[in-house]
Amino acid sequence: MTLLAVDQLEMRFGERLIQTGVSFQVEKGTIFAIMGGSGCGKSTLLKHMVGLLPPAAGSVSYNGVDYWQCEDAQQAQLRAGFGMLFQSAALWSSMTLLENVCLPLEQHTTLDATQRDRRAREALEWVALGEFADYFPSDLSGGMKKRAGLARAIAAEPPLLFLDEPSAGLDPISSKRLDDLVLEIRERTGAAVVFVSHELPSLFEIADDGIFLDAQSKHPIAHGSPRALRDSAEHPTVRAFLRREEPPQSALANTL
Amino acid sequence: MQLAALLPIRPVTYLGHVLISAAAGAAGRWRFRAKDLGQIVADCSARAVPIVTVVNILVGAILAFVGAVQLIKFGAGIYVADGVAIAVAREMAAIITAVVMAGRTGAAFAAEIATMQANEEVDALEVLGIDPVDFLVLPRVLALLLMMPLLFIYACVTGLFGGMVVAAGMLNVSAVAYVDRVGDALSWGHLGLGLSKSLVFGALIGLVGCYCGLYAKRNAAGVGVATTSAVVVSIVGIIVLDAVFAICANALDI
Repeated sequence: MTLLAVDQLEMRFGERLIQTGVSFQVEKGTIFAIMGGSGCGKSTLLKHMVGLLPPAAGSVSYNGVDYWQCEDAQQAQLRAGFGMLFQSAALWSSMTLLENVCLPLEQHTTLDATQRDRRAREALEWVALGEFADYFPSDLSGGMKKRAGLARAIAAEPPLLFLDEPSAGLDPISSKRLDDLVLEIRERTGAAVVFVSHELPSLFEIADDGIFLDAQSKHPIAHGSPRALRDSAEHPTVRAFLRREEPPQSALANTL
Repeated sequence: MQLAALLPIRPVTYLGHVLISAAAGAAGRWRFRAKDLGQIVADCSARAVPIVTVVNILVGAILAFVGAVQLIKFGAGIYVADGVAIAVAREMAAIITAVVMAGRTGAAFAAEIATMQANEEVDALEVLGIDPVDFLVLPRVLALLLMMPLLFIYACVTGLFGGMVVAAGMLNVSAVAYVDRVGDALSWGHLGLGLSKSLVFGALIGLVGCYCGLYAKRNAAGVGVATTSAVVVSIVGIIVLDAVFAICANALDI
């Protein structure tokens, strides 16, 4: 069952073309990776998908409904179907962790205050932050913030999760823990996960499918699971990225 | 050139957005948390009292000094109370309080929202389907609309007190005589004018502070620019609006 379909998406920053011809589908229960070098437009693609930035062309459809063609009310309904973990976690700094996790429940569910409180505490317990429910984000480490952000994203149990560089800036143990949590989410709720990452161990461990965006040619150059692409990709840039090899001269010139 | 090309589109769109959200709120669909409103109200009322007190006492005293120097020449020192009362109620209490609030509260709104913008907290609200204007702007503007009139009344009292201290010290005017003259000089028209200004200035400071924060660049420098802009635009706006009030009051003979 296709939860998310991106079709012929074109991304621009003003007049500058970032990517064109981006098409892929995300099925229920799939962990889908968006890969590519720095500046190729991975986070921008995520912004187009979660409704923060309209694309220059193309469509983003949830269960067959084109998000960017909908009225505001229908867009709000579609947004209830996904959660998002931002790169910086983006916890609301004036709220405690419990309040951070309660707000999506208040917005997207009909639970009363007691039920919301219980559900939020369960989500925090699940990411091992139960005892920090009354702490403010400023009192937490980077890894704890990421886990709290994950608790917030999954609290309303959306069928689709977007994760923007979940492991960025974390030590290997915290990074592994976050990967395990993502796999556990899929196991528990059957949610599909779309994530942007540079972390090769994460990509190989958790992603079932993915797309590789190329900054030089400005379109996707590979599609498939990161493991399969590592072993058999024909494009030299993809191979270099996933095997940590010397990049081709053309890609190097573009990066530098 | 078409009129539309002359309009600053973003501020006009923002103002329209705030008005529509406020209308929806007035119809019973407030989307912000009561707790947030309470915190903002406390911040722009009780916590602003010390600085509002000091500044307005000094302004009242300065007005009394200026008046006393002139009036003493004519043996009309007692009328210093009239001058201080009218100046404070019509102009100074509202303007000075608004300038102080622009410097502390408007700047704080801009810095806070700009920081939230830089940290993607505003994006997180939008992804959740929460309109940042509903959640961040309305409680701030509402808090200032509620508190500025109260601060204005308090500023009038403190300004008059400052004037009374100088009148007593320089002109030997007793407190009873001073209060008596103030009662005679002040009319509801003066107080109403000052009160109206305080409401308008409150709305201006809240709207400008939040606007500068919401449209700040997403970096540390952006927070600084937003804060500076909020203060500068608010203060210039306060003076411009005060001039508009002066013209209207003159035309309406208030």
